[in-house]
Amino acid sequence: MDKENILEVKGLHKRFTSKGVTVKAVTDVSFNVKPGETIGIVGESGCGKTTLGRCIVRAYSASEGEVFYRTKSGEELDFLKADKKKMKEIRKEIQMIFQDPYSSLDPRMTVLDIIKEPLRANYPNMSKDEMDQKAKAMAEKVGLNPTYLMRYPHAFSGGQRQRIGIARALVIEPQIIVCDEAVSALDVSIQAQVINLLRDLQKELKLTYLFISHDLSVVEHISDKVGVMYLGQMVEFAPAEELFEKPRHPYTEALLSAVPVADPTIQMNRIPLKGEIPNPANPPSGCYFHERCHYCIDKCRTDSPKLTTTQDGRSCACHRADELGLRGFTYDENAKTQKAGK
Amino acid sequence: MSEGNILEVKDLHVDIHMTEGLLTAVRGVNFEMKKGETLGLVGESGCGKSLTCKAILGINDRKCVPSGQILFDSEGLGKVDLLSLDPKGQNIRSIRGKEISMIFQEPMVAFSPMYTIGNQINEATRLHITKDKKKSKEISMEVMRKVGIANVEKRYNQYPHEFSGGMLQRALIAMALVCNPKMLIADEPTTALDVTIQAQILELMKELQKDFNMAILFITHDLGVVAKMCDRVAVMYLGKIVESAEASEIYANPQHPYTRGLIGSVHKIGSRKEDRLFSIEGTVPLAMNLPKACGFYDRCDVRIEGLCDKAEPELTEIAPGHKIACFNCPHEACRAQREKVEAMLKKEAVKNG
Ligand SMILES: Nc1ncnc2c1ncn2[C@@H]1O[C@H](COP(=O)(O)OP(=O)(O)OP(=O)(O)O)[C@@H](O)[C@H]1O
Ligand SMILES: Nc1ncnc2c1ncn2[C@@H]1O[C@H](COP(=O)(O)OP(=O)(O)OP(=O)(O)O)[C@@H](O)[C@H]1O
Ligand code: SF4
Ligand code: SF4
Ligand SMILES: [Mg+2]
Ligand SMILES: [Mg+2]
Repeated sequence: MDKENILEVKGLHKRFTSKGVTVKAVTDVSFNVKPGETIGIVGESGCGKTTLGRCIVRAYSASEGEVFYRTKSGEELDFLKADKKKMKEIRKEIQMIFQDPYSSLDPRMTVLDIIKEPLRANYPNMSKDEMDQKAKAMAEKVGLNPTYLMRYPHAFSGGQRQRIGIARALVIEPQIIVCDEAVSALDVSIQAQVINLLRDLQKELKLTYLFISHDLSVVEHISDKVGVMYLGQMVEFAPAEELFEKPRHPYTEALLSAVPVADPTIQMNRIPLKGEIPNPANPPSGCYFHERCHYCIDKCRTDSPKLTTTQDGRSCACHRADELGLRGFTYDENAKTQKAGK
Repeated sequence: MSEGNILEVKDLHVDIHMTEGLLTAVRGVNFEMKKGETLGLVGESGCGKSLTCKAILGINDRKCVPSGQILFDSEGLGKVDLLSLDPKGQNIRSIRGKEISMIFQEPMVAFSPMYTIGNQINEATRLHITKDKKKSKEISMEVMRKVGIANVEKRYNQYPHEFSGGMLQRALIAMALVCNPKMLIADEPTTALDVTIQAQILELMKELQKDFNMAILFITHDLGVVAKMCDRVAVMYLGKIVESAEASEIYANPQHPYTRGLIGSVHKIGSRKEDRLFSIEGTVPLAMNLPKACGFYDRCDVRIEGLCDKAEPELTEIAPGHKIACFNCPHEACRAQREKVEAMLKKEAVKNG
C-alpha cells in the first residue's frame, strides 16, 4: 500500500447471481484515495455506483479483488483477509450516508436514539451519559436544534432528516464516508445547505468522502477527483477540473454534453447516444460502450480496453484515448460564467 | 379570457382538511398560459405545484378542496371554468386526456403491469379518436414511432416490465399525445431519469410541441431543465406564485429574494470551487395556521420588520411580463404597494390604540 493513500481498490469485482443469471454489477474497478480527498462517482442508473460503495463499507463482500485500508492507528488492512475483530474496526471507520432520508431512519426511534445507535453497537461498554453527550455534540455540529432530539423522524423535513443521517454516520468518528446520492432527494436550497455542511465537516474532521451522485454539477462542486462508471466498469478517473474540461472517454463526453445547465443563454450541443443501456447480465463484446460510441473502430468490437494511463497521465479505458480530442466544459477565467463546448 | 390564452388560473386555492387542522396548500395562485408556450412551474417540495396541476385536471383527492377559477379555451365546450364542471361528469372527461393531457413522474405507476403497452395506448385512442379497431391501432403505432420507439410492431405487444425507464417514459408521452392535446401538463417528467435519457426526452417533447402546437405546463425543481425547456417561468413558494417572467429574465435578473436564493444556490459547472454554495437558511413552514405575513419572512435576508410580518405582498407587474410579490423591491409599482400597505397598517395601529 502506498504511504500516501488511505484506501486502495484493486481489481474489484462484484457479481450477483439469481435464478441462474449472473449480473456483473462491478467489473475490475481500481482506484486510490488519499486522506481528506473527495472522490465523486458518476454514471447512468444501474452502472454499479451503489454496489461499489457497499463493497467499500463492507455491506457486500467483493466477489474478487482487493481493498486495502489504512486505519486510524496507521495499520494497513486487507479487507478480504481481515479477521472479525479487524473487520469491526473497518466498519466503524468507514460509514455510509444513504440516498433516502425518509426510509433510512427508524420511525420508532427518537432522533437522539438514532444518532446514538452506532455508539451502542460499537462501544458496548460506553456509559449512557457519555453516549448522550457525544450524540448531542454531534447533533449540534450538524446544525440540529437540541430541542429536536426527543422527537421522532417523521416530524422533520428532508433536509433535517439528512442532517440526522449525517450525525449518525459521524458520531463514531469515521475516517471515510460513502455518501450515496446523499443530497439527491433534497430541494435546491436545502441541497446547498447540506453540501456546505458536508464540506465544513470535512475540513474540521479531516474526512475522506466517496461521493456517489448522478448530479454532475454537484459532483463537480464537491469532488477533487471523479470516477466515471459505465456498465460496472470505471471508464475514466481524473481530477475533477480536468475531467470536466477535457474528458478522455467518449462516454464522459456524452454525459457532460447532456447536463442541463441553469442558464437559458447557454445552448449545449448534446452528443446523442445511440441505443439503450445494455443489459448488465449480457454485456456487449469488446468495449462495453462500443454499440453506442461514435468513435467505435473494429478493434472496439472485440478487444476490451483496460483503464490505463494515457500519454499525458490521465486514466481512461478507451483504445482511442490518445488520439481523440473530446469536448468538455470550458472554463472562463475572468468570471464565474461558463461556456459550453469548445 | 384574453385572446390567445389557452388557460387562465385565477385566485386558485386548494384547502386540505386534515385531522390536525386545515392545510392551506395553495393560497391564491394566478397565472395564464398562451397557446403553444411552455410555462415552467418551479419551487421547493410541498409548495403546491402538483396540487395546482391536479386542480386543473379535476383529479384532486376528496379531502383536497379547490376554489377559484380555472378558465380553459376548449374546442368542444368553448371558454369554460374547469372548476365549475362536475369532476365526475361527462364534460371534464371530454377535456381530460383529450384536450389536456398529462405525464407524471413515475411511468411505472402510470401503466398497468397486466396489459401490453400497445393495448394501453390504444385504449386512449379508442376512447377519444376512433372506435374502428384497425384504424385506432394504426394511429397508436404511428404515435409510438413518433416518440422514437424503434421496432414498434414488437414493442406494441410487450408489457411495461420489458421496457427500460427511458422507453417507458416515451411510451407515456405517446399515450399523452395520441389525441393531439392542446395542452400538456408534465409533472416532473424526467426527474427519475439519467441525464442522457433526460436530455433525449426533453428534446423529444420540444419537437412534438412544435408539431402539435401544444402548450406545456412543465413542473420541476430542476432549474437546469427549466432553462432548457421553458419560455416563461413562475416561481412558487408556500402555495403562492412569488415571481413570474420570461425564462431569460428570471435567470438574468431575478427580483424576489427567494428566486435569487434559488438561482444562487445552483452550482454552475466551472465556477470556482473554493466558493461555498449560496444557501437559503431555514426551511419552508407548514401551511397551517399561517400568520398574515409574507410566506418567506423567516428565511428572507432583506425582510422589513413591522411590514413583512404584518401583511402579505401581492403579485405586482414591474416590467412587461415580469411580476413579483415583495415589499422590498425598488420598482415603482412595488414601492406604491408598500406605501399603501404601510399607510393601512398605520391606520390600523391607530385604531387599535
Ligand atoms: N442485491 C442485488 N441483487 C441483484 N442484483 C443487484 C443487486 N444490487 C444491484 N444489483 C444490480 O447490479 C447493477 C448495479 O446496481 P447499482 O444499484 O449498484 O447501480 P447504481 O449505479 O447505484 O444505480 P442507481 O443510479 O440507479 O442507484 C444493476 O443492474 C442492479 O440491478
Ligand atoms: N392528498 C393529500 N393529503 C394531504 N396532504 C396533501 C395531499 N396532497 C398534497 N398534500 C400536501 O399539500 C402540500 C402541497 O403538495 P404538492 O404535492 O402540491 O407539492 P409539490 O409542490 O408538488 O411538491 P413536490 O415537489 O414534492 O412534488 C404538501 O404539504 C403536501 O404534503
Ligand atoms: S474503446 Fe472504442 S468503442 Fe470504446 S469508448 Fe473507446 S472508441 Fe468508443
Ligand atoms: S415581502 Fe419582505 S419578507 Fe417577503 S420576500 Fe419581500 S422583503 Fe422578504
Ligand atoms: Mg444507486
Ligand atoms: Mg409534486
